[in-house]
Amino acid sequence: MEVSFQNLILGFATVLTPTNLLYALLGCLIGTMVGVLPGVGPLAGISMLLPTTFGLDATSAIILLAGIYYGAMYGGSTTSILMRIPGEAASVMTCIDGYAMARKGRAGPALAIAAIGSYAAGTLSVVGLMFLAPPLARFALGFGPPEYCSLLVCGLVVLSYMTGGSIVKNLSMITLGLMIGIIGIDQMSGYFRFSYGLVSLGDGVGVVPVAVGLFGISEILATAGSPDRREVINPRFRDLLPSKQELKDSIGPIGRGTVLGFLIGIIPGSAHIISTFVSYALERRMSKHPERFGEGAIEGVAGPESANNAASTGALVPLLALGVPTGPIPAVLLAALIVHGINPGPLFIKEQPVVFWGLIASMYLGNLVLLLLNLPLVSIFVNLLRVPYRILYPAILMFCVVGVYAVNSSMVDVGIMSVMGILGYLLRKMDFETAPLVLGVVLEPIIEYSFRQALAMSDGAYSIFVLRPISAFFLVVALVMILLGLKPLIKKTKDWRERLTEAERGA
Amino acid sequence: MMRSRRVLLAVMAMMCVGTIGLFAGASQAADSYPSRSIQIIVPFPPGGVADLVGRPFAAALEKLLNQPVVIVNKTGAGGAVGHQAQAVAKPDGYTLMVALSSISFMPEVDSMFGRPLAYKLKDFAPIALLSSDPTILVVKASSPWKTLADFVADAKKRPGEIKYSSSGVYGTLHVATEMFAYDAGIKLRHIPTGGGGPALNALLGGHVDATAAGPNVCIPQMKAGAIRALASWGDKRLASLPNVPTFKELGYKNTEFYIWSGFFAPAATPQPILKVLREATAKAVQTPEFKGAMDKMATPIAYLDAPEFQKFWDNDAARSFKAIRNIGKVQ
Repeated sequence: MEVSFQNLILGFATVLTPTNLLYALLGCLIGTMVGVLPGVGPLAGISMLLPTTFGLDATSAIILLAGIYYGAMYGGSTTSILMRIPGEAASVMTCIDGYAMARKGRAGPALAIAAIGSYAAGTLSVVGLMFLAPPLARFALGFGPPEYCSLLVCGLVVLSYMTGGSIVKNLSMITLGLMIGIIGIDQMSGYFRFSYGLVSLGDGVGVVPVAVGLFGISEILATAGSPDRREVINPRFRDLLPSKQELKDSIGPIGRGTVLGFLIGIIPGSAHIISTFVSYALERRMSKHPERFGEGAIEGVAGPESANNAASTGALVPLLALGVPTGPIPAVLLAALIVHGINPGPLFIKEQPVVFWGLIASMYLGNLVLLLLNLPLVSIFVNLLRVPYRILYPAILMFCVVGVYAVNSSMVDVGIMSVMGILGYLLRKMDFETAPLVLGVVLEPIIEYSFRQALAMSDGAYSIFVLRPISAFFLVVALVMILLGLKPLIKKTKDWRERLTEAERGA
Repeated sequence: MMRSRRVLLAVMAMMCVGTIGLFAGASQAADSYPSRSIQIIVPFPPGGVADLVGRPFAAALEKLLNQPVVIVNKTGAGGAVGHQAQAVAKPDGYTLMVALSSISFMPEVDSMFGRPLAYKLKDFAPIALLSSDPTILVVKASSPWKTLADFVADAKKRPGEIKYSSSGVYGTLHVATEMFAYDAGIKLRHIPTGGGGPALNALLGGHVDATAAGPNVCIPQMKAGAIRALASWGDKRLASLPNVPTFKELGYKNTEFYIWSGFFAPAATPQPILKVLREATAKAVQTPEFKGAMDKMATPIAYLDAPEFQKFWDNDAARSFKAIRNIGKVQ
């Protein structure tokens, strides 16, 4: 692919026509709304709008739908920060520190940093998409089951080393999550596992109902059940913008989140969710004050929010460069192209320069629009916190139910959300973190499936995990992490975890 | 005594009126059908084959029936959730379904595992076949197999070593490939993945040696020189791939498989309503909008009216049942 000035001009010429401009704006606007509404994720949003694009030409359609996709990553942080309800699954990590910031009256800066981080990540990863798409796409296809499995093992080791609070409690939460994740049809043999005759449980327990239930519903229950009336937070204008220190603290996480998100996003699977977990863990590891995480650290918002945006762009790399979708959302985008008579393959960029470069240009523009759209929205969203809880929370509850139902038109999902809400409430009462539980539910099917696929490929020989270079690399990283964790046994220095425990004891 | 008899009479009278009313209601329903919006269940997510066929089809029906026709993606368990929803839906012609070939597999798999059936094939009244595409056996362009004969010869030398990816265990690509493997007397190693897309990705990434794919998916990759087609599961060569032989002409007489999409109603739907739907469908597949939409997707329309579709479906299901029985329980 020739990345020339000329091509980019072609792209902007395509997108700067009134119609395409309108669709780019419309996509970003709808995307923001889809992201803000809990339950309705980008997949549901794009799917619902796919049929309405049948009348458009291919370029407009893909510009509109892609706008919804990356726009949703902007909006997803809003309810996470304000109400501890993930607007979509990739914003689960933002709930932790974003909401803690909001409780301290720093909702404005959290929202602003999320928007700025999303903008930086979105724009930088379009640059990546533009220059690196074909070679990166080939790298992504090299990611088979063994590589995926090793990546997740590595991720889990990193996470278990990073997560705060009681290790026993965290491990028990991850285990519970893994157990819930086992429910459903065994993808290797077709057996139903723990579905108790419910066909709807065949696909297992979905991430969206679990995340909305554990975070959102449990928060509503906890608020209703707490004896003290929470004061409505009245933000002052200067509290809306991040302070200099907060901006400075965010630069590193945004940069790392972008690179991490983009690279993980390229890998097939539900990678944008994983990228936020990894980014959060990385920031915590890098931080000089890891004890601040969970108490409202801005890095815990900036990193994951940048990562999910970069990942959403990264996921377009294999689609556009090779014509292969690597997840459900790129698959719907592929379908949008197909119904317009464009069947993307490895020659897509060469054969359809107008569509490709138009999309690239629209993404530069769209990210800018989203930033300009989201920064003023911060003050409006923050004002939502002024709405009395007795009005706000029933409304949110309704959105949660409708949103979760809409994903699969399934009442079973609404039931799962309700059960998870009650479970989440009980767990909070007992001081358990719910994020590791969600993580377990997300990762179980992927890690189990990739492990067994890898063994099917090698006819049961475990050596496949170390004989393939990328896979071996991740396992070495995991091993190094474990050894680092053992360091205090040899050297008599306290690591941050011990310092944290001591500080807590003193407090 | 009198009193109770009077009550009895009154009850009987009411029952009669009720029954007459019910009949009247039913015949009226058929006469004025459709008098409100129709729901078409698509048991797969948006963007899948069923969805891409179903939406333009619904749009064409809408104009012919003068009622809104809404697509509802009722997904889950490889389509079983949507199939089951249709099987138990009220047979009034307002809940219909566009489903794929895999509808035939699940009852057979369920009974093989000794599970209660989520639905039976007899729960559905076929209205029409909409599209039907044979799958294509593809390998990497860099692989040593130039022809199907090379592939089979190598597979015979190394039983269970050549890997192929499928859309999932007992999914369309698994059943199709095992049908061929049984017919050829070879043993291949099965790597299930999460769908047709991931199955092709596994081939392109070099993690497996072969896979099966629909023509519209593999033609762009073939054009780019990434993969090579060895044979097609159709009963004759595809117009879009004239150089790719069929398994049948290469001597594998029992290897025939299509990914088809069909239009279904619940089995107990009254004949008059089915007639309205059949007639509307016959017209809908002729509309330029539907033809245009299918053309863009490079999926040929393969319309068959209910009786012929039933025959096609019976044969297709019988072939698939046999293949599933041959696969047996996956250990």
